[in-house]
Amino acid sequence: MDWSAPHAGFVAAAYAASAIGILGLIIWLVRRDISARKQEDHIG
Amino acid sequence: MQKYANPHVFVKLASVVLPYVWALTAILFAIGLYGALVTSPPDYQQGETVRIMYVHVPASWLALMIYSLMAVFSAIALIFRHPLADAAAKSAAPIGAVFCFLALFTGSVWGKPMWGTWWVWDARLTSMFVLMLLYLGYMAIWRAIDDPHRAASIAAIVALVGAINVPIVKYSVDWWNTLHQPASVFRMSGSTIDKSMLWPLLVMALAYTMLFVALLLVALRGEIALRKLRSKRLAEVRSK
Amino acid sequence: MSAVRAIIARDLRLGARQGGLGTAIGFLLALIVLVPLSLGPDLALLSRIAPGIMWLGLLLAVLLTSEQIFQQDFEDGSLDLMTMTATPFELIVLAKAFSHWITVSLPLAVLAPPLGLMLNINIAQVPMIWVAMILGSFALSMLAAIGGAVTAGLRRGSLLVSLVILPLYVPVLIFGIAASTSGLAPETALPSFLVLLAITLVTLVISPLASAAALKAYLR
Repeated sequence: MDWSAPHAGFVAAAYAASAIGILGLIIWLVRRDISARKQEDHIG
Repeated sequence: MQKYANPHVFVKLASVVLPYVWALTAILFAIGLYGALVTSPPDYQQGETVRIMYVHVPASWLALMIYSLMAVFSAIALIFRHPLADAAAKSAAPIGAVFCFLALFTGSVWGKPMWGTWWVWDARLTSMFVLMLLYLGYMAIWRAIDDPHRAASIAAIVALVGAINVPIVKYSVDWWNTLHQPASVFRMSGSTIDKSMLWPLLVMALAYTMLFVALLLVALRGEIALRKLRSKRLAEVRSK
Repeated sequence: MSAVRAIIARDLRLGARQGGLGTAIGFLLALIVLVPLSLGPDLALLSRIAPGIMWLGLLLAVLLTSEQIFQQDFEDGSLDLMTMTATPFELIVLAKAFSHWITVSLPLAVLAPPLGLMLNINIAQVPMIWVAMILGSFALSMLAAIGGAVTAGLRRGSLLVSLVILPLYVPVLIFGIAASTSGLAPETALPSFLVLLAITLVTLVISPLASAAALKAYLR
């Protein structure tokens, strides 16, 4: 990938958005899962 | 199939399988990204921006595939009353919605250097936008209805009606687009794709799919835990 | 069968009395005023977009009245009783959606195209638009029934109804407009009308099934 090429910023934006979206999804779901299972053990 | 109907069994299975799925996901992404950003060549016409294809196309494929899966889960929930089916559909939705959004965003970012405009009402983008609305509507239904069993039935119906709508919309938007197609041809990198670009694309597609499997297992496990929590709390309140 | 006829007769009388049509026409008129105000009075522009605006108005107006198909009977318990009759519930649901068509969508479809004259609609287009709207209005009512059924038990379901139904309206809109603006030549007009007819038939089957299932879920 030639980062100095014209429009390279668009490529960066696309990959950055994908990374943010995917990581956000992972973090949200994993945290929800952990907290739900922790509470469940606590009550049950 | 009946054995896995027991949420307990599913949770145990998921916990065993997950580390391997995550590992596979990471490996596939590593290989795919290397292929996408390093080894694959820039396009003759588009230059480096063709690399956006490696994150845009898998996201679009997954967005569509996940909705179809949601419809299948919903059908199973309605017809066979499999206890995990509606939970699986509910869990898949936000994942599909994020992929759909990413498909739209990366598509827009790809469109600007390629067509000179951030958005174009071509058949694919328009259909994907409608798909986004379908995801949002489905998730809104779950939120709007208090009773979880009722919500599950209604959401399943909404998913199925939406699923029937998807091919009809695709067909009608395609047709509408040929009516209104302006002079220039808005075509994605053609159907005959070079081998050097094809393999990173397929690896990335596999990586996204593995990611979805991992996320679905995590989300479903969390959903099951939340439901158990809810019923335990209800039982507590009732026994008081 | 007599049960179905009775329900249609009752809903027609109720619909005529309750004035859902009045609201819908009012909404259409409001739209016709707001469009030139927001886009400017350029007559050439208006005449180009007039068919689209009229269709948009029809869609949104039908959507606005979708709650009245089931809401009242759901709330006062009549719907519950209707599930216990010998007549299949799907037929009863179909009868109610049909009555909505007769009392709201069909009159709107008849009244809308002439109102387009205020948007400088090309008068040569009006006959085609008329036929297309009348044909399309049936599917619109059927799809509105699905939205009404899916949100029947919700208190503030109106925005959600729009979100659920609008994607379903997309094919009707696309082919409705295509049929409206395709000119009088049968080769260009016929395909769109046929697809519109096909969509109508599909909704005729799917709507009662989906709506009945959704209502039963609320009534359980």
